[in-house]
Amino acid sequence: MHYPEPISKLIDSFMKLPGIGPKTAVRLAFFVLEMKDDDVLDFGKALVNAKRQLSHCSVCYHITDRDPCSVCEDSGRDHSTICVVQDSKDVIAIEKMKDYNGLYHVLHGAISPVDGIGPEDIRVAELLKRLQDDEVKEVIIATDPTIEGEATAMYIARLIKPTGIKITRIAHGLPVGGDLEYADEVTLSKALEGRREL
Amino acid sequence: MHLNELRLTNYRNYKKMELSFENKINVFLGENAQGKTNVMEAIYVLAMANSHRTSRDKELIKWDEEYAKIEGRIEKKTGSLSLQLVISQQGKKAKVNHLEQKKLSEYIGALNVVMFAPEDLNLVKGSPGVRRRFIDMEIGQVQPVYLYHLGQYIKLLQQRNSLLKNMRNSSQEKMIMMEILTDQLVEQAANVIIRRFRFIELLQEWAEPIHRGISRNLEELKIQYNPSAEVSETMDLSKIVEAYKQKFDKIKDREIERGVTLAGPHRDDLSFFVNGKDVQTFGSQGQQRTTALSLKLAEIELIKGEVGEYPLLLLDDVLSELDDFRQSHLLNTIQGRVQTFVTTTSVEGIHHSTLDKASMFEVKQGEIFQTK
Repeated sequence: MHYPEPISKLIDSFMKLPGIGPKTAVRLAFFVLEMKDDDVLDFGKALVNAKRQLSHCSVCYHITDRDPCSVCEDSGRDHSTICVVQDSKDVIAIEKMKDYNGLYHVLHGAISPVDGIGPEDIRVAELLKRLQDDEVKEVIIATDPTIEGEATAMYIARLIKPTGIKITRIAHGLPVGGDLEYADEVTLSKALEGRREL
Repeated sequence: MHLNELRLTNYRNYKKMELSFENKINVFLGENAQGKTNVMEAIYVLAMANSHRTSRDKELIKWDEEYAKIEGRIEKKTGSLSLQLVISQQGKKAKVNHLEQKKLSEYIGALNVVMFAPEDLNLVKGSPGVRRRFIDMEIGQVQPVYLYHLGQYIKLLQQRNSLLKNMRNSSQEKMIMMEILTDQLVEQAANVIIRRFRFIELLQEWAEPIHRGISRNLEELKIQYNPSAEVSETMDLSKIVEAYKQKFDKIKDREIERGVTLAGPHRDDLSFFVNGKDVQTFGSQGQQRTTALSLKLAEIELIKGEVGEYPLLLLDDVLSELDDFRQSHLLNTIQGRVQTFVTTTSVEGIHHSTLDKASMFEVKQGEIFQTK
């Protein structure tokens, strides 16, 4: 099958997105051809603007359209607590909860020697620099409960320990509203490990 | 437990195939390269979600097809279960009673099988990897959490090895990272080892009387687990962790020099002793075979003990490899208790009354017909 160049370029562009294979890319490209001119223009602008106008906050490295970001600038928030996450998406997940009032630090990845990602490839040094400020009293490490996330958490904890700042790790175990009997053995044993006194 | 129905779609040389079985001995008869072993393999994959012959799942899919599907209905004491496993380029999807299982480790164990294939006669004299695979697969099906720890261990091992390869120009960050990965590795290693110790102990208990039976009271079998650190079955988890930490401390320089992890469950091995002599080096071929047979029969009993029901037994082309006495010992043991699937090129040379009562299937060029 031979496509005219403009559309084959569009198909190629769609295929660069995660989760989109050749068939979906063709469908999306042909859908774009049927869209209203204005909608296509807006779509194009939105793509360009998202990339151009968003950058990383120079303090916490969360995505933002101004620097420092709205979270770091908010004086109503608790500046003595920093929650360390792997990804900007994690910040958004925690913000949705509306229960956390501290600041964030986005690492942009986790340490994984297999993938050639060392401590210097994620924003660990920047975190340590932030901690030199006396204001910070607690660091909550909220990296993923995977091998890489766990190793990153331990690595950061090791570096922060000497400063005397309180370090905590978010709990993992049973989901809220879940039934104990349906939990798998590994989750159960993790939950048991992280039990607390009542 | 037993398998009532088996349906294959695009599996190896089978386009579509449907068979039903009775809870007794089922014999697949046919020339070489007709697809006998493929049926055995399919039953094995249905239980373990992995082939015993290959680690490349793509090979299981019929040539030029997108996916392969294995479905089975099993009868257990607790009722009947339908299992489905779809293998495609994207990976594997497993369903129990039409419900998709998120983790394969939750699927494995629904159906228990013990496979005895010609390769297994190599269990004793083959490479240590063969023996590690044997214990991993067997513990995995009675204790799925073992597969989780083993999986974590293997991932950590890869991380640690990658780091070790870059440790020659070492920095402080790398040293800290090394310590962290070692701590994590040791914890999973201990979880793996402690379950292996328990498994070997149970296996020994079952295998010893069985071996005595096959050897007409002449031989005594002992199984020994050889860990790559100074740990023993009397230690608890924290003691094993401690022992491994000490070991890694000792071999640190050598590991950095070689760039690989030099201790842990991935380097452990099993030894078998008959009347105090190591069968691997001093045993005759016959003794090695008897040992392999005892281990397989012990496995059947072990699974019965742990799960409460007998597993299926898959005998792939091994009956003809065993002499008359071992053959009839095997058939006597399973008779009337264990649903068994046998492949063979001919029933000549297999003289046993159990075969008279068996269902017979003829396998010819990817088609199977029940003949009796």
